[in-house]
Amino acid sequence: MRSPIRWIALAVGVVVVAVTVVFAIQVSRRAAEVSLPRLVLEHAPAPDFTLKNLADGKAITSQQVKGKTYVVNFFNSWCIPCQQEAAALKAFYAEHKKESDFEMIGIIIDDTESVMRKYVKNNAITYPVGVDPKGTASIDFGTTGQPETYVIAPDGVAVCGNLGASTQAQLDAWLQAARSGQECVAPKK
Amino acid sequence: MKSRKLLAWIALAVVVAVSIVVLVVRSQPDNSPAARAARLEQQLACPVCEGQSVADSNSSQARAIRAQIPDQITKQHMSDAEIRAFYVLKYGEKMLETPSNSGMGIVAWGLPALFLILGGVGIVVAVRRWSTTPRLTATAADEDIVRRARESEHSDDDDDEPDEVPE
Repeated sequence: MRSPIRWIALAVGVVVVAVTVVFAIQVSRRAAEVSLPRLVLEHAPAPDFTLKNLADGKAITSQQVKGKTYVVNFFNSWCIPCQQEAAALKAFYAEHKKESDFEMIGIIIDDTESVMRKYVKNNAITYPVGVDPKGTASIDFGTTGQPETYVIAPDGVAVCGNLGASTQAQLDAWLQAARSGQECVAPKK
Repeated sequence: MKSRKLLAWIALAVVVAVSIVVLVVRSQPDNSPAARAARLEQQLACPVCEGQSVADSNSSQARAIRAQIPDQITKQHMSDAEIRAFYVLKYGEKMLETPSNSGMGIVAWGLPALFLILGGVGIVVAVRRWSTTPRLTATAADEDIVRRARESEHSDDDDDEPDEVPE
Protein backbone atom coordinates (compact mmCIF):
# COMPACT_ATOMS: atom_id res chain seq x y z
CA MET A 1 0.00 0.00 0.00
CA ARG A 2 1.46 3.39 -0.95
CA SER A 3 2.35 5.65 1.88
CA PRO A 4 -0.33 8.34 2.35
CA ILE A 5 2.38 10.72 3.55
CA ARG A 6 3.77 10.76 0.03
CA TRP A 7 0.39 11.79 -1.34
CA ILE A 8 0.13 14.54 1.26
CA ALA A 9 3.63 15.78 0.39
CA LEU A 10 2.73 15.67 -3.30
CA ALA A 11 -0.45 17.65 -2.67
CA VAL A 12 1.49 20.28 -0.70
CA GLY A 13 4.05 20.50 -3.49
CA VAL A 14 1.36 20.95 -6.15
CA VAL A 15 -0.34 23.69 -4.10
CA VAL A 16 2.97 25.52 -3.55
CA VAL A 17 3.82 25.40 -7.26
CA ALA A 18 0.35 26.57 -8.28
CA VAL A 19 0.38 29.47 -5.83
CA THR A 20 3.90 30.45 -6.91
CA VAL A 21 2.81 30.57 -10.54
CA VAL A 22 -0.25 32.67 -9.71
CA PHE A 23 1.84 35.10 -7.66
CA ALA A 24 4.45 35.35 -10.42
CA ILE A 25 1.73 36.28 -12.92
CA GLN A 26 0.27 38.84 -10.52
CA VAL A 27 3.69 40.39 -9.86
CA SER A 28 4.54 40.68 -13.54
CA ARG A 29 1.14 42.19 -14.27
CA ARG A 30 1.61 44.68 -11.47
CA ALA A 31 5.05 45.61 -12.77
CA ALA A 32 3.50 46.56 -16.10
CA GLU A 33 0.85 48.67 -14.40
CA VAL A 34 3.18 50.48 -12.02
CA SER A 35 4.03 53.33 -14.47
CA LEU A 36 0.40 54.40 -14.91
CA PRO A 37 -1.77 56.24 -12.42
CA ARG A 38 -4.52 54.10 -10.98
CA LEU A 39 -7.24 56.47 -12.21
CA VAL A 40 -5.99 55.99 -15.77
CA LEU A 41 -5.65 52.23 -15.36
CA GLU A 42 -9.19 52.04 -14.08
CA HIS A 43 -10.42 54.37 -16.83
CA ALA A 44 -12.27 56.19 -14.08
CA PRO A 45 -13.92 59.61 -14.05
CA ALA A 46 -11.71 62.37 -12.76
CA PRO A 47 -12.80 63.52 -9.31
CA ASP A 48 -14.21 66.95 -8.63
CA PHE A 49 -11.80 69.39 -7.06
CA THR A 50 -11.72 72.90 -5.64
CA LEU A 51 -8.34 74.55 -5.30
CA LYS A 52 -7.01 77.97 -4.43
CA ASN A 53 -5.19 79.68 -7.29
CA LEU A 54 -1.60 80.29 -6.15
CA ALA A 55 -1.44 83.54 -8.13
CA ASP A 56 -4.58 85.35 -7.02
CA GLY A 57 -6.26 83.19 -4.37
CA LYS A 58 -9.38 82.66 -6.50
CA ALA A 59 -10.97 79.26 -6.85
CA ILE A 60 -9.96 76.75 -9.50
CA THR A 61 -12.68 74.15 -9.76
CA SER A 62 -13.36 71.09 -11.86
CA GLN A 63 -16.60 72.76 -12.99
CA GLN A 64 -14.55 75.40 -14.82
CA VAL A 65 -12.92 72.76 -17.05
CA LYS A 66 -15.94 70.51 -17.50
CA GLY A 67 -16.42 69.45 -21.11
CA LYS A 68 -12.85 70.34 -22.06
CA THR A 69 -9.82 68.18 -22.55
CA TYR A 70 -7.61 69.13 -19.69
CA VAL A 71 -4.32 68.12 -18.15
CA VAL A 72 -3.72 67.94 -14.41
CA ASN A 73 -0.14 67.81 -13.20
CA PHE A 74 0.73 67.19 -9.55
CA PHE A 75 4.16 68.60 -8.77
CA ASN A 76 6.32 70.50 -6.34
CA SER A 77 9.53 72.51 -6.28
CA TRP A 78 11.88 69.93 -4.84
CA CYS A 79 11.28 66.72 -6.74
CA ILE A 80 13.91 66.15 -9.43
CA PRO A 81 11.59 64.65 -12.10
CA CYS A 82 9.26 67.64 -11.57
CA GLN A 83 12.17 69.94 -12.40
CA GLN A 84 13.12 67.75 -15.36
CA GLU A 85 9.68 67.95 -16.95
CA ALA A 86 9.06 71.65 -16.19
CA ALA A 87 10.32 72.83 -19.58
CA ALA A 88 8.24 70.26 -21.44
CA LEU A 89 5.10 71.26 -19.58
CA LYS A 90 5.75 74.94 -20.30
CA ALA A 91 6.28 74.31 -24.01
CA PHE A 92 3.23 72.05 -24.19
CA TYR A 93 1.03 74.68 -22.54
CA ALA A 94 2.40 77.45 -24.77
CA GLU A 95 1.54 75.36 -27.84
CA HIS A 96 -2.07 74.68 -26.89
CA LYS A 97 -3.20 77.46 -24.54
CA LYS A 98 -5.11 79.32 -27.19
CA GLU A 99 -7.26 76.30 -28.03
CA SER A 100 -10.70 76.86 -26.54
CA ASP A 101 -11.28 73.22 -25.60
CA PHE A 102 -7.98 72.85 -23.74
CA GLU A 103 -6.97 73.57 -20.18
CA MET A 104 -4.04 72.73 -17.96
CA ILE A 105 -3.80 72.91 -14.18
CA GLY A 106 -0.83 72.34 -11.94
CA ILE A 107 -1.56 71.17 -8.39
CA ILE A 108 1.00 71.63 -5.67
CA ILE A 109 1.67 68.59 -3.58
CA ASP A 110 3.79 68.50 -0.43
CA ASP A 111 5.25 71.98 -0.64
CA THR A 112 4.70 75.46 0.80
CA GLU A 113 3.03 78.34 -0.99
CA SER A 114 5.92 80.78 -0.55
CA VAL A 115 8.45 78.33 -2.01
CA MET A 116 6.08 77.46 -4.85
CA ARG A 117 5.55 81.12 -5.71
CA LYS A 118 9.30 81.50 -6.19
CA TYR A 119 9.45 78.28 -8.19
CA VAL A 120 6.58 79.34 -10.45
CA LYS A 121 8.16 82.74 -11.00
CA ASN A 122 11.68 81.38 -11.62
CA ASN A 123 10.37 78.83 -14.11
CA ALA A 124 7.99 81.27 -15.79
CA ILE A 125 5.03 78.92 -15.35
CA THR A 126 1.97 80.57 -16.85
CA TYR A 127 -0.69 77.85 -16.51
CA PRO A 128 -2.91 78.00 -13.43
CA VAL A 129 -1.35 76.44 -10.35
CA GLY A 130 -3.65 75.41 -7.53
CA VAL A 131 -3.00 74.92 -3.86
CA ASP A 132 -4.44 71.81 -2.20
CA PRO A 133 -3.74 72.44 1.49
CA LYS A 134 -5.65 69.48 2.89
CA GLY A 135 -4.43 67.10 0.20
CA THR A 136 -8.02 66.34 -0.79
CA ALA A 137 -7.38 66.51 -4.52
CA SER A 138 -4.27 64.38 -4.06
CA ILE A 139 -6.27 61.67 -2.30
CA ASP A 140 -9.21 61.90 -4.70
CA PHE A 141 -6.91 61.44 -7.67
CA GLY A 142 -5.11 58.64 -5.81
CA THR A 143 -1.66 60.13 -6.27
CA THR A 144 1.25 58.13 -4.96
CA GLY A 145 4.05 60.60 -5.56
CA GLN A 146 5.11 63.36 -7.88
CA PRO A 147 5.08 64.28 -10.63
CA GLU A 148 1.87 62.67 -11.75
CA THR A 149 0.04 63.76 -14.88
CA TYR A 150 -3.54 63.04 -15.85
CA VAL A 151 -5.18 63.81 -19.19
CA ILE A 152 -8.95 64.05 -18.88
CA ALA A 153 -11.17 63.64 -21.91
CA PRO A 154 -14.21 65.89 -22.50
CA ASP A 155 -16.47 63.24 -20.96
CA GLY A 156 -14.56 63.56 -17.71
CA VAL A 157 -12.74 60.22 -17.88
CA ALA A 158 -9.01 59.99 -17.16
CA VAL A 159 -7.74 58.38 -20.36
CA CYS A 160 -4.01 59.00 -20.31
CA GLY A 161 -1.38 59.81 -17.77
CA ASN A 162 1.99 59.12 -16.31
CA LEU A 163 3.81 58.50 -13.06
CA GLY A 164 7.08 60.39 -13.37
CA ALA A 165 8.45 63.01 -15.74
CA SER A 166 6.64 63.45 -19.04
CA THR A 167 7.98 64.73 -22.35
CA GLN A 168 6.28 67.22 -24.66
CA ALA A 169 5.87 64.49 -27.27
CA GLN A 170 4.05 62.28 -24.75
CA LEU A 171 1.78 65.14 -23.68
CA ASP A 172 0.94 65.95 -27.31
CA ALA A 173 0.15 62.29 -28.03
CA TRP A 174 -2.07 61.98 -24.96
CA LEU A 175 -3.92 65.19 -25.81
CA GLN A 176 -4.49 63.93 -29.33
CA ALA A 177 -5.75 60.58 -28.04
CA ALA A 178 -8.08 62.19 -25.47
CA ARG A 179 -9.57 64.53 -28.07
CA SER A 180 -10.11 61.88 -30.69
CA GLY A 181 -11.72 59.42 -28.30
CA GLN A 182 -8.88 56.97 -28.53
CA GLU A 183 -7.59 55.37 -25.41
CA CYS A 184 -4.01 55.50 -24.30
CA VAL A 185 -4.48 52.32 -22.33
CA ALA A 186 -7.20 49.66 -22.49
CA PRO A 187 -9.61 50.06 -19.58
CA LYS A 188 -9.04 47.56 -16.78
CA LYS A 189 -11.97 45.14 -16.58
CA MET B 1 -10.25 10.11 45.70
CA LYS B 2 -12.49 10.23 42.66
CA SER B 3 -14.43 13.17 44.05
CA ARG B 4 -11.17 15.10 44.63
CA LYS B 5 -10.14 14.54 41.02
CA LEU B 6 -13.57 15.64 39.87
CA LEU B 7 -13.36 18.78 41.97
CA ALA B 8 -10.00 19.61 40.42
CA TRP B 9 -11.43 19.27 36.90
CA ILE B 10 -14.43 21.41 37.81
CA ALA B 11 -12.14 24.10 39.26
CA LEU B 12 -10.06 24.08 36.07
CA ALA B 13 -13.16 24.38 33.90
CA VAL B 14 -14.40 27.33 35.98
CA VAL B 15 -11.05 29.11 35.66
CA VAL B 16 -11.01 28.57 31.88
CA ALA B 17 -14.60 29.76 31.51
CA VAL B 18 -14.01 32.90 33.58
CA SER B 19 -10.84 33.68 31.61
CA ILE B 20 -12.70 33.37 28.33
CA VAL B 21 -15.48 35.65 29.53
CA VAL B 22 -13.01 38.28 30.76
CA LEU B 23 -11.06 38.15 27.49
CA VAL B 24 -14.21 38.49 25.41
CA VAL B 25 -15.51 41.40 27.45
CA ARG B 26 -12.14 43.19 27.45
CA SER B 27 -11.62 42.71 23.73
CA GLN B 28 -14.73 44.67 22.79
CA PRO B 29 -13.36 47.56 20.72
CA ASP B 30 -13.64 51.17 21.81
CA ASN B 31 -15.96 52.81 19.28
CA SER B 32 -15.38 56.44 20.13
CA PRO B 33 -14.51 58.59 17.07
CA ALA B 34 -10.94 59.07 18.25
CA ALA B 35 -10.44 55.35 18.83
CA ARG B 36 -11.99 54.51 15.46
CA ALA B 37 -9.77 57.03 13.71
CA ALA B 38 -6.67 55.66 15.43
CA ARG B 39 -7.67 52.09 14.54
CA LEU B 40 -8.33 52.99 10.89
CA GLU B 41 -5.00 54.79 10.63
CA GLN B 42 -3.32 51.57 11.76
CA GLN B 43 -5.37 49.45 9.36
CA LEU B 44 -4.57 51.56 6.30
CA ALA B 45 -1.18 51.35 4.64
CA CYS B 46 0.62 54.49 3.56
CA PRO B 47 -0.05 54.77 -0.21
CA VAL B 48 3.41 56.07 -1.02
CA CYS B 49 5.76 54.36 1.40
CA GLU B 50 6.39 50.65 1.72
CA GLY B 51 5.86 49.01 5.06
CA GLN B 52 4.33 51.91 6.95
CA SER B 53 0.79 52.50 8.04
CA VAL B 54 -0.98 55.80 7.63
CA ALA B 55 -0.53 56.24 11.38
CA ASP B 56 3.25 55.93 11.16
CA SER B 57 4.04 57.69 7.89
CA ASN B 58 4.93 61.36 7.53
CA SER B 59 4.23 61.58 3.81
CA SER B 60 1.84 64.27 2.63
CA GLN B 61 -0.70 61.67 1.49
CA ALA B 62 -0.64 59.95 4.89
CA ARG B 63 -1.02 63.30 6.67
CA ALA B 64 -3.93 64.19 4.39
CA ILE B 65 -5.61 60.85 5.09
CA ARG B 66 -5.13 61.30 8.85
CA ALA B 67 -6.76 64.74 8.52
CA GLN B 68 -9.61 63.36 6.44
CA ILE B 69 -10.60 60.33 8.53
CA PRO B 70 -12.04 62.26 11.52
CA ASP B 71 -14.30 64.23 9.16
CA GLN B 72 -15.42 61.04 7.48
CA ILE B 73 -16.35 59.62 10.90
CA THR B 74 -18.00 62.64 12.51
CA LYS B 75 -19.36 64.67 9.58
CA GLN B 76 -20.03 62.12 6.88
CA HIS B 77 -20.96 59.37 9.39
CA MET B 78 -19.11 56.74 7.41
CA SER B 79 -18.60 53.32 8.95
CA ASP B 80 -15.12 51.80 9.31
CA ALA B 81 -15.81 49.47 6.39
CA GLU B 82 -16.98 52.39 4.21
CA ILE B 83 -13.87 54.41 5.05
CA ARG B 84 -11.59 51.48 4.24
CA ALA B 85 -13.50 50.91 0.99
CA PHE B 86 -13.12 54.60 0.12
CA TYR B 87 -9.33 54.43 0.24
CA VAL B 88 -9.23 51.05 -1.47
CA LEU B 89 -11.20 52.66 -4.30
CA LYS B 90 -8.59 55.43 -4.53
CA TYR B 91 -5.43 53.42 -4.09
CA GLY B 92 -6.29 49.77 -4.47
CA GLU B 93 -6.13 46.74 -2.21
CA LYS B 94 -2.59 47.63 -1.19
CA MET B 95 -4.14 50.20 1.15
CA LEU B 96 -5.19 47.48 3.53
CA GLU B 97 -2.61 46.35 6.07
CA THR B 98 -4.34 42.99 6.20
CA PRO B 99 -5.41 41.14 3.06
CA SER B 100 -9.02 41.41 2.01
CA ASN B 101 -11.24 38.37 2.21
CA SER B 102 -11.90 38.26 -1.52
CA GLY B 103 -9.87 37.72 -4.67
CA MET B 104 -6.14 37.12 -4.08
CA GLY B 105 -6.67 37.89 -0.40
CA ILE B 106 -8.35 34.52 -0.05
CA VAL B 107 -5.01 32.89 -0.89
CA ALA B 108 -3.27 34.77 1.93
CA TRP B 109 -5.90 33.70 4.44
CA GLY B 110 -6.46 30.23 3.07
CA LEU B 111 -2.89 29.03 2.58
CA PRO B 112 -1.90 28.91 6.26
CA ALA B 113 -5.14 27.13 7.09
CA LEU B 114 -4.58 24.68 4.26
CA PHE B 115 -1.02 23.92 5.40
CA LEU B 116 -2.23 23.54 8.97
CA ILE B 117 -4.85 21.02 7.90
CA LEU B 118 -2.42 19.12 5.67
CA GLY B 119 0.23 19.12 8.40
CA GLY B 120 -2.30 17.91 10.97
CA VAL B 121 -3.48 15.13 8.70
CA GLY B 122 0.13 14.14 8.07
CA ILE B 123 0.87 13.98 11.81
CA VAL B 124 -2.27 11.93 12.48
CA VAL B 125 -1.41 9.49 9.71
CA ALA B 126 2.19 9.16 10.91
CA VAL B 127 1.20 8.60 14.55
CA ARG B 128 -1.39 6.01 13.59
CA ARG B 129 1.14 4.16 11.50
CA TRP B 130 3.66 4.11 14.31
CA SER B 131 1.12 2.92 16.86
CA THR B 132 -0.39 0.17 14.70
CA THR B 133 2.83 -1.26 13.28
CA PRO B 134 3.14 -4.58 15.13
CA ARG B 135 6.22 -5.44 17.15
CA LEU B 136 8.10 -8.22 15.50
CA THR B 137 8.09 -11.56 17.34
CA ALA B 138 10.25 -14.54 16.50
CA THR B 139 8.53 -17.50 14.90
CA ALA B 140 9.48 -21.11 15.57
CA ALA B 141 11.40 -21.21 12.30
CA ASP B 142 13.38 -18.09 13.32
CA GLU B 143 14.30 -19.64 16.68
CA ASP B 144 15.38 -22.84 14.93
CA ILE B 145 17.70 -20.85 12.68
CA VAL B 146 19.27 -19.10 15.67
CA ARG B 147 19.67 -22.38 17.57
CA ARG B 148 21.40 -24.08 14.67
CA ALA B 149 23.68 -21.07 14.17
CA ARG B 150 24.69 -21.16 17.83
CA GLU B 151 25.31 -24.90 17.69
CA SER B 152 27.56 -24.52 14.70
CA GLU B 153 29.50 -21.79 16.53
CA HIS B 154 30.04 -24.07 19.51
CA SER B 155 31.19 -26.94 17.30
CA ASP B 156 33.66 -24.58 15.58
CA ASP B 157 34.99 -23.57 18.98
CA ASP B 158 35.43 -27.22 19.95
CA ASP B 159 37.44 -27.80 16.75
CA ASP B 160 39.75 -24.90 17.59
CA GLU B 161 40.67 -26.21 21.07
CA PRO B 162 43.95 -28.13 21.05
CA ASP B 163 43.76 -31.96 21.36
CA GLU B 164 44.50 -33.33 24.79
CA VAL B 165 48.03 -34.41 25.09
CA PRO B 166 48.17 -38.12 26.06
CA GLU B 167 50.05 -38.85 29.30
